[in-house]
Amino acid sequence: MTPIDPILLSVYARNFKSIADEMSISVQKTTRSPILCEAKDFVTGLYDAGGRMLEQMENLPILAFSLAPVCKYIREFFGDDIHEGDVIFHNDVFSLGNQNNDVAVYKPIFFEGELVAWAAAKGHQADIGGAVAGGYNPNATEVWQEALRIPPVKVVEQGRVRRDVWDLIFANIRLDIVQHDLRAQMGACTVGERRMQALLRKYGRENFEAHKLALFDATRRMMEAEIEAIPNGTYFGEGHVFYDGRHDGSRFTIRVRIQVEDRHITFDYSDTDPQTNGFVNGTFTSSASATMLTFLQMVNPEIPHNDGMLQPIRIIIPEGTLLNASYPKATTFGNHLCPPNADAIIRALADVIPERVTAGWNNLLCSLTTGTDRARDEKYVDIFFMGMKGGSGAMDGTDGYDHIGMIDASGGVLDQDYEMFEQQTPHRLIKHEYLCDSAGPGRWRGGLGTETIYEIGSDDTQLVTFGDGDFEPPFGLRGGHAGTLNRICLTFPDGREVIPRNKDLLTAVPRGTRYHQIAGGGGGYGDPRLRDRDVLAREIRDGIVSPEAARAVYGDAHRN
Amino acid sequence: MGVKIGIDVGGTFTDFLVAWGDREPEIFKVLSTPSDPSLGVLDGLHRIAASQQPPQDVNTFIGDVDTIVHGTTVTTNATLTRKGAKSALLTTAGVRDALEMRRGVREEQYNNRYTNVTPLVPRYLRAGVGGRVDRDGRELDALRPDDLADALELFRQEGVESVSICFLNAFANPAHEQQAAAVVRAAMPHVYLTVSTALLPSIRFYDRLSTTALNSYVGPILSRYLDQLTERLRGVGFRGTLLIMQSNGGVMVPEVARDKAALTLLSGPAAGPGAGQVYARAHGRDDCIVVDMGGTSFEASLVSGAPLMVNEGIIDRHRIALPMLGIHTIGAGGGSLGWIDEGGLLRMGPQSAGADPGPACYGRGGTLPTCTDANLVLGYLDPDFFAGGTMALDLERARCAIGQHVAARLGLSIEEAAAGMYRVVCNNMAQGIREVSIKRGFDPREFPLIVAGGAGPIHSCLICEELEMPFQIVPRESSILCAVGMLLGDLIHDFVRTHVCRLEHADWPALERVLDEMTAAGRELLQREGIPEQHRSFQVKFDCRYLKQFHEVSFAVPQAAIAARDAGAIARAFHLEHNRLYGYSLEELRAPVEIINVRVQAIGRTDKPEFSRQPHAGADPAAARRGERPAYLPGARAFRSVPIYDGHRLRHGNEISGPAIIEEATTTIFVSENFDCVTDALGSFALHRKGRADPADGAHGADHDAH
Repeated sequence: MTPIDPILLSVYARNFKSIADEMSISVQKTTRSPILCEAKDFVTGLYDAGGRMLEQMENLPILAFSLAPVCKYIREFFGDDIHEGDVIFHNDVFSLGNQNNDVAVYKPIFFEGELVAWAAAKGHQADIGGAVAGGYNPNATEVWQEALRIPPVKVVEQGRVRRDVWDLIFANIRLDIVQHDLRAQMGACTVGERRMQALLRKYGRENFEAHKLALFDATRRMMEAEIEAIPNGTYFGEGHVFYDGRHDGSRFTIRVRIQVEDRHITFDYSDTDPQTNGFVNGTFTSSASATMLTFLQMVNPEIPHNDGMLQPIRIIIPEGTLLNASYPKATTFGNHLCPPNADAIIRALADVIPERVTAGWNNLLCSLTTGTDRARDEKYVDIFFMGMKGGSGAMDGTDGYDHIGMIDASGGVLDQDYEMFEQQTPHRLIKHEYLCDSAGPGRWRGGLGTETIYEIGSDDTQLVTFGDGDFEPPFGLRGGHAGTLNRICLTFPDGREVIPRNKDLLTAVPRGTRYHQIAGGGGGYGDPRLRDRDVLAREIRDGIVSPEAARAVYGDAHRN
Repeated sequence: MGVKIGIDVGGTFTDFLVAWGDREPEIFKVLSTPSDPSLGVLDGLHRIAASQQPPQDVNTFIGDVDTIVHGTTVTTNATLTRKGAKSALLTTAGVRDALEMRRGVREEQYNNRYTNVTPLVPRYLRAGVGGRVDRDGRELDALRPDDLADALELFRQEGVESVSICFLNAFANPAHEQQAAAVVRAAMPHVYLTVSTALLPSIRFYDRLSTTALNSYVGPILSRYLDQLTERLRGVGFRGTLLIMQSNGGVMVPEVARDKAALTLLSGPAAGPGAGQVYARAHGRDDCIVVDMGGTSFEASLVSGAPLMVNEGIIDRHRIALPMLGIHTIGAGGGSLGWIDEGGLLRMGPQSAGADPGPACYGRGGTLPTCTDANLVLGYLDPDFFAGGTMALDLERARCAIGQHVAARLGLSIEEAAAGMYRVVCNNMAQGIREVSIKRGFDPREFPLIVAGGAGPIHSCLICEELEMPFQIVPRESSILCAVGMLLGDLIHDFVRTHVCRLEHADWPALERVLDEMTAAGRELLQREGIPEQHRSFQVKFDCRYLKQFHEVSFAVPQAAIAARDAGAIARAFHLEHNRLYGYSLEELRAPVEIINVRVQAIGRTDKPEFSRQPHAGADPAAARRGERPAYLPGARAFRSVPIYDGHRLRHGNEISGPAIIEEATTTIFVSENFDCVTDALGSFALHRKGRADPADGAHGADHDAH
């Protein structure tokens, strides 16, 4: 048996991280869809021969915890028929994919003729076929109305592109850029493959395998230590989902039962409401990703992301529930069930580990426009990232983060640059600023929300909304107040005002329409009357707290 | 040619390299004076004058000096310590928070305790001004004078020292910015003003805004400092040229530096790569990787024909979108602390013991184990000959710190723990080199490694083994590489303009007009700096991308291609660079290429000091041998007795077979059992991996060059 060298262990960990990071840079710099290169809605990672996670670069963590399960699935699916130079695509939500638009590229890594590891890159594609461009179809009831399903398929076999398979896939996808973006993801996997092979040449297969297991053990111990610090017990929490895209007034509840037993933690969603008949349904891996990313914010952020981190954590989500829909339900909204799922977890643990939780975060409410930029004679697709990002919840000792956006990304998704936005769409930005009094007051306030206005510049505009957070504001904790609601309102050139539902599809929105969006602020923590008076005075001066609100909520601004 | 002095102000020491012209250059070091760094500069000049034979007074000495090149970190420090100017911003109404939002990023996604960085301009001093230009530069609404007047009234009341102007789409039409600037100048004649399109007329609002705000934040600080410095230099009779180091590796006159203070923000290590190239050239190599390991940080950069440039950087989480050398900095130095994380893995840094209390072995109260402590335990450092014998090191304290905090926790012996610390820190530095090489498409094995900094040459053999690099050079002036580089810098001015079009459909007359304007502006600056026509050159770069890609690739465009209006040749250069960077190109698919920015770099060549070459003194190093002591050999994983050499007595041609240790006053070189060392004609130490066909290749190269 190979003896474990504790120093070499650090060397391996550092190398895996650097490789995943390098793959990520490669995707970011070479892709075309702003969803990938600007918003960084993708994940890159390395997995061992059996599909266990070695390291990931989780730009958008809601995709992240589906990569290893799919890798295992692919391994079993192809069995012995995996060869050097193969490239495999996958998006299928009924074989452990998290969302139809999130297409993964897997490349097996061989060393001395044997499969030793995998490199993978998974990203949200600008289009994936289905009934509606961009993939968000609020009217869908079945997966085929949403997307082209891609179960594991070899698009490259031993270095040779399978033209027939390639064309079959891209004949069913609207936008040409998707081909190029998947090529970029393949390029990133090649980067990962090269560096892993160099590492193996240096240390040898046996040494790698032994140290990999030791690294998993070390990481598992770190996670176990974090869980041990949580008092044993069973804790319950709820999160709420408003509107399924089909039935006005519909409302659903996510229920989690968290069981902490010494060094193990279980998240059990068995009591969650049943699945819907619309597209508001989760998949197992997107829901489990939501659980993981929420819990990871409550533990030491330095824990490496590999299989060892996952070992002490168990997640139970029965099929047929809102968070794990059965075949062939529509599920595109599933990633966006993360915020209420996070609410449920935070509420369950708020009194157990009060120093580690935040108050409620702003929920996602987003819009996607497509149409023609007439002056440029080009089609455009835009997800309006800058408008959707509200504030995070405050925690004991720390204000919420302003304009950070949904908890699933936690500041990983960037605003479009304003000038690039105006180059790539026909729209014109009028306002994008912090919104006064949007933060949930508290001794520690929530993160600020924003107000955004732009003028629509195409005549054939199709506007899809998807999200929530316009019914229930982010909750406050320990005397902190709630944050504020999301809102989207369109003012047509004739003066008519339209407030789309939070999952809606509007067509032929005319040029000159004003799009107005408020992304709410996060919840506050602790009694606002205890807020530091110097900080409050500065915030009044800066115009993010009004004097009226200061008097009404925070008490006398000058008392100290 | 008169005397030239390179002066590099660092956190602890101010380094001087005096190039006499007629004799060997000399190195001086004095303590830095952070509250007013010009005092340390003057102190050094006095000491240099006094050290001459016979001693001179400073006025006599300075009379012979024709050039002083100065690297300063006053702007860097002002930003890092948040002691910049009280600054205000005029921007387009509706987007005044963009500066603080930083596009909504939180760099540490899982860390809810991670707060946003304090903005360079507080919100109440960020004023929105009505008026709008569209994406093609057409005016939609005229600039609102009332908004301007209100804002300036507030700025006056608040006593702001500097103002930034940055409007939406100004890259396409700067008229509103220019109008606003005229109003500011009239209303506040003494305020420091930065206009975004004068500093950086390129697309991407946030990048331009952040860069503009940084310039205003540090502009008044740099201006005041340069006033003090020039006054003090004039006071001792200096009548030569003062040049200031920039982040792009070039130098500029103080008048330019005052307006474009942000150009100095990342200039601290910027002289290193150019200096490294000189030592590589002595071996017939134009390319090299340069590393510099000091007390707290490690810097890596790459030279491929010329030092590698990037078009953006980050300082204290603020974006700065100016061309600069691509230098990667990590927290690894002699003072880096070793610690065990919760999973039981050994880590080194980025926390550092700094200069105070310093490593445990300094005996100044430090009890935590550092990289230097490990080097002492491993026998690489001599407790009685540190810093040329000016400072004794306490081996027992080093052993105690490592034993308690590392060895006991890992169940290793103290020596094993120290070896582990050494290995981990070397691995961290190897990762730093990967950042500037592999991640940018270069194979480090093809480059000589130039090793600088007091702590660098102890670690470089293991770094080279990690990266399979066969050849390294430790310059004689290793510990003051940046001061050397300052004397080698040219005057460099970068210009950029956004010019969006499909490459194949380029409007050549319009493109040439933009290039001509930038070239003319560069010519005018060089004229002002007194650079004669025959010493000026201009280089063109394009930032291009495949149509609908989002990020550009910046690459050099040959003058001939422009003269011939050869879009095909330019496209080929782009495909090539894209392939090198990202492992593929779309040349075969004939994907259309689009131009986003065009750039001109104006270069004014300066006179460089010559480094004298020593005569060949034979292979035998016996005269420099000082004894031997046990040191740890990483390959054998054991201590062996290794010979010690006095670096000052090693002569051109002397060959040493590793393992060996070479001691100099300001640095120590560990030649591992896998390397051999030969002293080259410049007095540098050239280390080759053993088993090469021609182990003395480096020395020969130097000889060829010298003949």
